[in-house]
Amino acid sequence: MSRMQLAVVAALVRRALNEITRVPGAAIPGVLAPTIFVVGLTSVFGQVDRLAGFGEVDFRTFVVPVGFLQAAGFTGAATGVNLARDIERGWFDRLLLCPAPRLTVLTGVVASAGLRCLLPVAFLFAVALATGVPFPGVDGLLVALLLVMGLASTLACFAVTLALRFRTQQAAPLMQMGAFAGVLFTPAYAPEELLAGWLEAIATVNPVTHVLAGVRQGFVGEVTWGDTWPAGLALAGMAVAFGAFAARGLRRYSS
Amino acid sequence: MATIDVRGLEREYKSGLKAVRGIDLAVAPGEVYGFLGPNGAGKTTTVRMLVTLLRPTGGSATVAGFDVSTEPAQVRKRIGVALQEAALDLLMTGRELMELQATLHGLAARSVRGRADDLIGRVGLSQAADRRVATYSGGMRRRLDLAMALVHEPEVLFLDEPTTGLDPTSRATLWDEVRRLRADGTTVFLTTQYLEEADQLADRVGIIADGLIVAEGTPAALKAEIGLPHLDVTFMECPDLGHARDLLLAFGKLRPAPDGVDVSVAVAAGAAEIAPVVRVLDEAGFTVAALELVEPSLDDVFAEKTGRHLEGAAQPAATPA
Repeated sequence: MSRMQLAVVAALVRRALNEITRVPGAAIPGVLAPTIFVVGLTSVFGQVDRLAGFGEVDFRTFVVPVGFLQAAGFTGAATGVNLARDIERGWFDRLLLCPAPRLTVLTGVVASAGLRCLLPVAFLFAVALATGVPFPGVDGLLVALLLVMGLASTLACFAVTLALRFRTQQAAPLMQMGAFAGVLFTPAYAPEELLAGWLEAIATVNPVTHVLAGVRQGFVGEVTWGDTWPAGLALAGMAVAFGAFAARGLRRYSS
Repeated sequence: MATIDVRGLEREYKSGLKAVRGIDLAVAPGEVYGFLGPNGAGKTTTVRMLVTLLRPTGGSATVAGFDVSTEPAQVRKRIGVALQEAALDLLMTGRELMELQATLHGLAARSVRGRADDLIGRVGLSQAADRRVATYSGGMRRRLDLAMALVHEPEVLFLDEPTTGLDPTSRATLWDEVRRLRADGTTVFLTTQYLEEADQLADRVGIIADGLIVAEGTPAALKAEIGLPHLDVTFMECPDLGHARDLLLAFGKLRPAPDGVDVSVAVAAGAAEIAPVVRVLDEAGFTVAALELVEPSLDDVFAEKTGRHLEGAAQPAATPA
């Protein structure tokens, strides 16, 4: 990527982050939601960790990584919704009129999701530590953050594909539903060995399951290469697939 | 070589609608080309194809020497575009938007600020540069949009209905800027539904209806095509209207006089005929109460070519100095 293209990506990321600082109220629901989810779920189902399969890990610690992934889901979907809004208002045409390759524009749009998701993740992490969740270790935290940022950008590609297809914010439920189905049809609430029926079947083939395992590993035990590479591979596979869909959507947008 | 060269350009949507049905046009370097037509005629579709936002389904077009279909990035480097709706991020300030636009167009970081300041000053927004765009009036947004389109000093500027909905002052500012760009040698492709705008600004006008160009030429030539200007004369009192008609017949063919007018005569030389007409009538003892030179309008041209009137024709247009 040339210096000019990097400058374009950086400018688009800055613009996306601008929205948080200029309209902080609009960002609050997305920041609070994963934390509310974790706190609420723990309050209701906290005793479920007595089941065999959880081992020594308490339920709160078990679901904090799910909250991280939810934050990625929220941010990814929001990126698609924001793009649909930009399309409706004509702003996206302005971006397409810049001489940089259109994939650079696409990169700028989705890269912002990786950074924006750090806000809800940081808030949830602070609440989690304050309520007794053990620190996952520097390596655990680093791996978790990288995977969550990658997932947010990947889910942003998915949402952007829908935005380019439907060109309206009315497609927002589709973007959110897709992102959350991906995150929740995993061993989100219980270890894999406790899953049964259709959920077990879907979780087994869902690549997000591997990403969740990668994010969760530092919270529930040691960080290992055996849990990290499948997560990275699954994420890379999804990024390539959804990135290709988004690029195709962008090509078709002008045709 | 034409800066904009369009041959048989077509756009058919998946629904089967043919918005543009094979148009040909050529715009010379430094020319202001007015693209005139009612809503739905195909103006915006044509512009979107020329600026590479929409792929043509037939024909070809080059802008600044590059094909819009096969070399779109080269085209985008050389054009500035202000589309119909001023698409601005309302959360950003005018200066931030200018700087973002400069970055998007590849200006070096060190020159971004200076260029942004120059253009903001040129469109009269220096005082408001650090305010969020949400607080700008419609006219200010349009001016900012124009400034953003100029940030990389484009060879060709596309303005899609730039003054629609603007107050007279803002319209005057934009017109002045277009005149200045013409003086600087920028080629301008201006779509409008305001006849006066095309008349005032365009060197040549193309009239589009139902996806086809139905007339093209200078405003004066187009108007001349459909008829001469005429003088409508009303007398204080006229005991011998026949004699007055005989006198005026020497200047041109008499036309049916509209209500309230005594004699209407076609005059080939337009305004130059006013003084001689007044002199002849005065010498013959007629007292003229009113005398009006009526020029054929572009709407007359449009009506002649399509059998319809332009929607914008009925709207009062501001007349900036």
